Amino acid sequence: MRWVRALRRVFAEALEGVEIAVENLVTARLRSALTVLGIVIGVMTVIAIVAIIQGLNASFQAQIANLGAHTLYVSKWAWFTQGREQWWELRNRKELGRKELEAVEREATLATAVAPMGMTQSDLTRGDLEAPNVQVIGTNAQYLATGAGTVAVGRFLAETDVDLTRSTAVLGADVADRLFPGFDPPQMLGRKVAVNGKAFEVVGVLERRGQLLGQNMDSNVVVPYTAFQRDFGGRRSLSIAVSTTPENLSALEDQLVEILRRVRRVPPEKKDDFSLNRQEQFLRTYEQLTGSLFEVAIAVGLITLLVGGIGIMNIMLVSVTERIREIGVRRALGARRSTILLQFLVESSIVAAVGGALGTALGLGLAQLIALVSPLAAAVSASAVVLGIGFSAAVGLVFGIWPAWRAARLDPVEALRHE
Amino acid sequence: MSAGPLIVVERLCRFYEVGGEVVRALDGVGFAIERGEWVGIIGQSGSGKSTLMNVLGCLDTPTSGTYRLNGTDVQTLADDQRADLRNKEIGFIFQTFQLLPRATALANVMLPLVYRGVPKGERRDKAEEALAAVGLTNRMTHRPNELSGGQRQRVAIARALVGEPSMLLADEPTGNLDSATGDEIIRLFDDLHRRGHTILLVTHEPRLAARCPRAIRLIDGRVIADGRGSEIAALGGAAAVPA
Repeated sequence: MRWVRALRRVFAEALEGVEIAVENLVTARLRSALTVLGIVIGVMTVIAIVAIIQGLNASFQAQIANLGAHTLYVSKWAWFTQGREQWWELRNRKELGRKELEAVEREATLATAVAPMGMTQSDLTRGDLEAPNVQVIGTNAQYLATGAGTVAVGRFLAETDVDLTRSTAVLGADVADRLFPGFDPPQMLGRKVAVNGKAFEVVGVLERRGQLLGQNMDSNVVVPYTAFQRDFGGRRSLSIAVSTTPENLSALEDQLVEILRRVRRVPPEKKDDFSLNRQEQFLRTYEQLTGSLFEVAIAVGLITLLVGGIGIMNIMLVSVTERIREIGVRRALGARRSTILLQFLVESSIVAAVGGALGTALGLGLAQLIALVSPLAAAVSASAVVLGIGFSAAVGLVFGIWPAWRAARLDPVEALRHE
Repeated sequence: MSAGPLIVVERLCRFYEVGGEVVRALDGVGFAIERGEWVGIIGQSGSGKSTLMNVLGCLDTPTSGTYRLNGTDVQTLADDQRADLRNKEIGFIFQTFQLLPRATALANVMLPLVYRGVPKGERRDKAEEALAAVGLTNRMTHRPNELSGGQRQRVAIARALVGEPSMLLADEPTGNLDSATGDEIIRLFDDLHRRGHTILLVTHEPRLAARCPRAIRLIDGRVIADGRGSEIAALGGAAAVPA
């Protein structure tokens, strides 16, 4: 019974604090508004930046998933190199060729698709029309299954195209637009285009894919790798895209390492002379980038909150001074020191939390606005909202301690006598 | 409730140090007050009556001596315990009313019960009852600045009564009121006294002390007379009234 009463008392006192806080907020609107402004700006900044970073992450993740998240790219080159020395090391590696491709096709039992990728830049022409600097990709029929897009019109490369070294081509959407202006896509099929001066027959057009990290994904043409090697040189390095199911990804990695080391006769004591690249690496690099941006944003937000907190402390000190007599009355009527402390802490937390809520709302609005007028995306996460409000309340609490302690420490006799 | 007098004060001293000099605000005060008594404490400013009121109100602790209130030795209590004791045993009535300016009459009267952990519904009922007892049933939702001085003091009296304390401690309760309104308040005290409340009234006005059945006169921190209010008031009355 005793503790029920004590609990009820604390609850009633806290509720009193809330009522007082709300009342002060309402009666001193301008002052309250100015007080919480610092918190509002701080929270708004952080929330807006967080929302945009999370939005970017989400959209980037979605793009990566489209790209074949479960594909390993075996290559002479590592996508992410560190320093000049490593570059030289990679430079001196043996090229990957048909031997490796055949071994992987034969032995990588976990693979769901294996596609070679020979790549170069070349100009495509059709009569007077030209598509400059097109990415030419020499591959096989399984290329699309490694997450490389879909066919919009016509067909993709067939195995016979590869086996018979046919001069067939599947055009990227931009290339199709350039070489066949005003054509209905089906009309393009069966027509010839010149790749590096050699005639190729258009058998299909790829679906538009847009941009990834500012790179145009539609300025390309896909040809059989046999034809690619015929026209661009047989010793040109191939990459090999190997897809699998998500759960087999790391097992596939082991399998590929084993196959390639054997085929390339890498002595046991030597390092791999090839790289297994993943799209995920992009994501990781990207997250590192946004991660540091995130940290800067948080740091800026913290500094602003600190300033806001000092503002709250200042106004709470004023508020305590203004209400010295009230504190004396409350003490006379039976409020303990802790009661007064609680009252002022509740008040400063509420002031700050209201600022936090306002800042969160404004921040989310700002993020949406930015997403609307720029290519950036914005995501609203519940955790950001809770954190925004909770963190400001905590700031209010921390910066309210000193004023509240001063209030609680007042001598009731002197407080009652205060003019 | 314990046996014996409600208040027992023995050799009570309260010294201050002001600018290196010791001020003996209370210098060996002793008396006892029974339940149901109405006692005036009279003295000029500087006589120590305010200090005595603060000590009796458990707002201040004596330098030495004992103060027993309703069986509790107040001078030994910690700050929190004194706060609880004030809440439970003492109803304060101040010269300047000391109402919370932004709270309604009802909220002001409910406040002591908040600090006692009384549930909200019960708080409201008791506060309404107390306001009715001082004749303010139709002023409950008014804020202090919407009330006259007399009404404000009656709200304060309702606030002092609501917790059913064992004594009312009034410090110059008519000091800020015109004489007609002051009389009204004193009649209210009369009424409360008849209903069995213990009242301590601190004042410098002999006229007011004369209304108390018993009065204690202080000079320089000592009790110099203790007896019937009318006699004590007459005693050196002219000298006691400031110009």
